[in-house]
Amino acid sequence: MPQSQTFLLVDDDIDDTFLFREVLSDVAPQVTLRTAANGQEAIESLLAPSHPLPQLIFLDLNMPKMDGKQCLLAIKRNERLQHIPVIMYTTSSHSRDIEETMQNGAISFITKPSHISELRTILSSLANNTNNNLEKTLRHLSQSQNTFIVC
Amino acid sequence: MILIVDDTSENLFSLKTLLQLHRFEVDTAASGEEALKKILRQEYSLIILDVQMPGMDGYEVAETITGYSKTKDIPILFLSAVNIDKRFITQGYASGGVDYITKPFDPDLLLLKVKTFQKLYLQNKALNEAHATLEQKVAERTKELLQANKELEASNTELQQYAYLASHDLQEPLRKILTFSHMISEKFLQENDDAMRLMNRVIASSERMRTLINDLLQYSRVAQSVDFIPTDLEQLVQDVLSDLELAVREKGAQVSVSPLCTAEVAPGQIRQVFQNLLSNALKFSKKDEPPIIEIRGEKVRTPSEDAPPDKDGNWCRISVSDNGIGFDEMYVQKIFGMFQRLNGREEFEGTGIGLAIVKKIIDQHHGYISAHSSEGVGATFVIFLPLFQSNISPLPNPTTHKKDYTSL
Repeated sequence: MPQSQTFLLVDDDIDDTFLFREVLSDVAPQVTLRTAANGQEAIESLLAPSHPLPQLIFLDLNMPKMDGKQCLLAIKRNERLQHIPVIMYTTSSHSRDIEETMQNGAISFITKPSHISELRTILSSLANNTNNNLEKTLRHLSQSQNTFIVC
Repeated sequence: MILIVDDTSENLFSLKTLLQLHRFEVDTAASGEEALKKILRQEYSLIILDVQMPGMDGYEVAETITGYSKTKDIPILFLSAVNIDKRFITQGYASGGVDYITKPFDPDLLLLKVKTFQKLYLQNKALNEAHATLEQKVAERTKELLQANKELEASNTELQQYAYLASHDLQEPLRKILTFSHMISEKFLQENDDAMRLMNRVIASSERMRTLINDLLQYSRVAQSVDFIPTDLEQLVQDVLSDLELAVREKGAQVSVSPLCTAEVAPGQIRQVFQNLLSNALKFSKKDEPPIIEIRGEKVRTPSEDAPPDKDGNWCRISVSDNGIGFDEMYVQKIFGMFQRLNGREEFEGTGIGLAIVKKIIDQHHGYISAHSSEGVGATFVIFLPLFQSNISPLPNPTTHKKDYTSL
């Protein structure tokens, strides 16, 4: 199991942030969760030299100031950040959003599940895997879960 | 008003008097030039024209009159004492005259001719006016209809967008209701069966609403532009069957699929059609009898159920039959409508949108669907899909789809 992992969740929805934190601390207490309420805050936090970089970024689409699509572009254009896998984590399941973000370098597109057990499975699988087989884990999740996952 | 054109004042006077005696309104001109001036200012129903005049002669005047669109319909009657030879008469007709009378003339016959031509002119004029009015009315009506059509299209698009946005925005709070309900159940209600039962009702209702919203979203998405791609329909059916494998096994259903056509379709949408029809066939099965589902297809020349199979036909006819509970055929018009449920919610779950989506997708493919059934015996749905959509130009879609996400 990897040591001292950090996930970054970028979402302006306080309910979803609460649930995410709750479930993650349940299934993977070893993971530190950092949060940002919009894209701009996320980029500022990612570029702050005092913070260690997260291993995984969960990015909502619809946010004030800087939305998920702009934030994704900013991450993928930055040499220091572009290697960090970004998972779109949103309520949308619109093919246009999926195509655009997948083309712009998102590793996966997950529609927020409405059952907490699914969120639990997803976060547990992702937290307990190293980056080497992240894609495999996502593929497995997309086949085994009801949640809409594109990878 | 009748215009008499003659350079001899005696002729003018005698003809004018004759016509006035018979209550015709009469005007005169002593030369071709004067006549043309008058014709431009005043409307005449008949022109009686002398042939030989100094300056412009009668033929030239006639040619000028018939050359103007405004005056071309005024009948011209030539009257001549000098040029009575056949070639002059012919020239008179050629320059636009309706008759050529030689002097001396019989006043009674002249009057009869004047009356007839004037009457014809007035009738013709009335007819032209009626025609113009009619054309204008048709043009106005066409414009109104086009406008109304445009407004309808706009409001239809708006409505579809509204349905899409509304159902999309409804999903969001509902998802939270569900997630938090589950959370409460798991965290706090494990030891409290009564509270758990109540919470399960909240969850069941929310789930039903979610299905409803998802179906609505799907319905409103059908209207979006799609690409038609040559697709093996049998493969789509097999894909759907592998998705439904669990339900097929649970019900112990026997499903047989005959080879189907390859047709130009939006694969994601037609997949949805088979998905809905096959899951209906499984859902509405009899309690005590395992479902037998048969999917058959053949090419036909015309989209008709009686058409014999024809391998050169341009239509694909596909039937999906089951031995389930069926429905009363008197409801056949209703089943393709929105929110139409023929069965109680306790017996069979569902939103009543599935067949409406099917109908909308088939419409979008310029096809037809019909249904037959008798209660307790089973139901058959027959789909007709054109093999080619080439005569219909789909909206251009600049991005190429690697995956068809719309079917998910």
